[in-house]
Amino acid sequence: MAGFVIKRLLQAVLTVIGVITAAFFLTRLAGDPAALLLPPEATLEETQRLRAALGLDQPLFVQYLLFMGNALKGDFGMSLRESVPAMSLVLDRVPATLELALSSFAVGVGLAFILGILMRMTRHNWVRDLITWIALARQAIPVFSFGLVLILIFSIWLKWLPSYGRGTPAHLVLPALTLGTYELALYLRLFNSSLAAEQRNDYVRTAFAKGQGRIQVLLQHMLPNALLPLVTVAGINLGMLLGGTVVTETVFSWPGAGRLIVQSVSQRDYPVIVAGVFVISVMFVIINLIVDVLYGVLDPRVRLA
Amino acid sequence: MKARFSPLQTIAILLLAVMAVLVIVVPLLPIYDPYGQNLSDSLLPIGGRSFNGHFYLLGTDTLGRDMLSRLALAGQVSTLIGLSAVAVSLVIGVTLGLIAGYFRGPIEAIIMGLADLQLSIPRVLLLIAVTAIVGPSVAGLAIILGVTSWVSYGRVARGMTLSLREREFILSARVQGASAVWNIRQHLLPNVLPQMLIVASYEFGMIIVLEASLSYLGLGVQPPLPSWGMMVAEGQNYLALAPHLAIMPSIALFILVIGFQFLSQAFTKENDLEMVA
Repeated sequence: MAGFVIKRLLQAVLTVIGVITAAFFLTRLAGDPAALLLPPEATLEETQRLRAALGLDQPLFVQYLLFMGNALKGDFGMSLRESVPAMSLVLDRVPATLELALSSFAVGVGLAFILGILMRMTRHNWVRDLITWIALARQAIPVFSFGLVLILIFSIWLKWLPSYGRGTPAHLVLPALTLGTYELALYLRLFNSSLAAEQRNDYVRTAFAKGQGRIQVLLQHMLPNALLPLVTVAGINLGMLLGGTVVTETVFSWPGAGRLIVQSVSQRDYPVIVAGVFVISVMFVIINLIVDVLYGVLDPRVRLA
Repeated sequence: MKARFSPLQTIAILLLAVMAVLVIVVPLLPIYDPYGQNLSDSLLPIGGRSFNGHFYLLGTDTLGRDMLSRLALAGQVSTLIGLSAVAVSLVIGVTLGLIAGYFRGPIEAIIMGLADLQLSIPRVLLLIAVTAIVGPSVAGLAIILGVTSWVSYGRVARGMTLSLREREFILSARVQGASAVWNIRQHLLPNVLPQMLIVASYEFGMIIVLEASLSYLGLGVQPPLPSWGMMVAEGQNYLALAPHLAIMPSIALFILVIGFQFLSQAFTKENDLEMVA
């Protein structure tokens, strides 16, 4: 087990180094950082002094090491628009993004769980078909379109829920529904096939033979086993949810890191963009690491792979 | 050759036919200029008629531009970007995948490591970071979307090559002194290509959605050129007053995406293949 954890940890560290390297090249592609920081009327001497202070007169490889050292300290320079470190601007927004991502995760898994059991228990084929088709259709609607449809129905027509901002639990409902249902079709398919696979096991036959009812066998015996693949895949997708928060946050004016990045792009605030992409990528790596290790704990067969 | 289509194929073909009509046939009809502004005709509903008798089948936007012709033009823009991006990613992905699978060793490790690294940054974020720095343009978008989408092709191509390279026809070609380039081009490429086209039909829908998302965020196609994602963003401000502005481009996106989804599913089922993860 220790070997497995160490191996995954090393992979995660390599990935973070890769992300920093990509960020370095992106910032250098954006142009001379000194030119961005100084007013256009700055003299050549002033420019050179700043370049020396930032280490930009060093060879590229030394610059790269400097950049990496600073990145590991979380220092991506000052925001070009507001005189605060770019990193602190991003970190202020991270809780909102995590709140959205985790609630979406809960909505996705919860809905898959409820609908999956409903599909298993019902004796009507049309119910099964209806749920499958709705989930499939949902998957084909982009996040922003689905968000707007929800706003139209629940905020504008029914006036039940707020359409933008953050604060009360009511504010969270529409964004979490928008993002959480995106992968519902995948979750449902997975949950159904793992339930179907459990059905064939001997312990299910034994439970029926003991005289237990359909519902009891399903809930008490099959469910704990069938939930594992669902939670794992949903956990892996939690990382993708982080990417999806960017669009969802923009639709609902949700004050998270993703919306900050998008706003920084239109303001050409490169340090904030790089810090934001770095933070979300690191969160993504950490989440994947945790999910993998947890899965290794729950299912020992994974460690061999 | 089967003469009949499966239900899934029929639905896919019907949906894509609707899109083909919008993108190819509608621009040929005598419709309004998609750029033509007419402030006195602004925000007309579907089937709206202005006071001076102009008829708009799908209504008008805030500047009084005809929605039907804008939807059609935006569809052409999205399709063009999608097709070019798919072509770019197909070429890069297949090349890297075949090289990784054929040569193995450190080359494979580097290529597959690159794929893993790219998957470790959420795709939307990567695209935002790159467009932020390169600046948005139609050609740039197609290239960026293409370069960042090679991984699915690369992985599938490598996986197929791993088993193909051990087969007798490749071994015998190698024994006869065929070069790596010859083997890859003459023997491996034709064998992986059909599967690659299935991946492409799936990826096309994904790329259309990514382009629409970027354009929605204001980082993709730039005005005055319309794009479905941008039209949704413009319509968001008038959601209460004129919901059709945001809904119609959304419907267009939905039909195109689900059409390609069904198409790739129908292919996958027919050829009894596993869909790529």
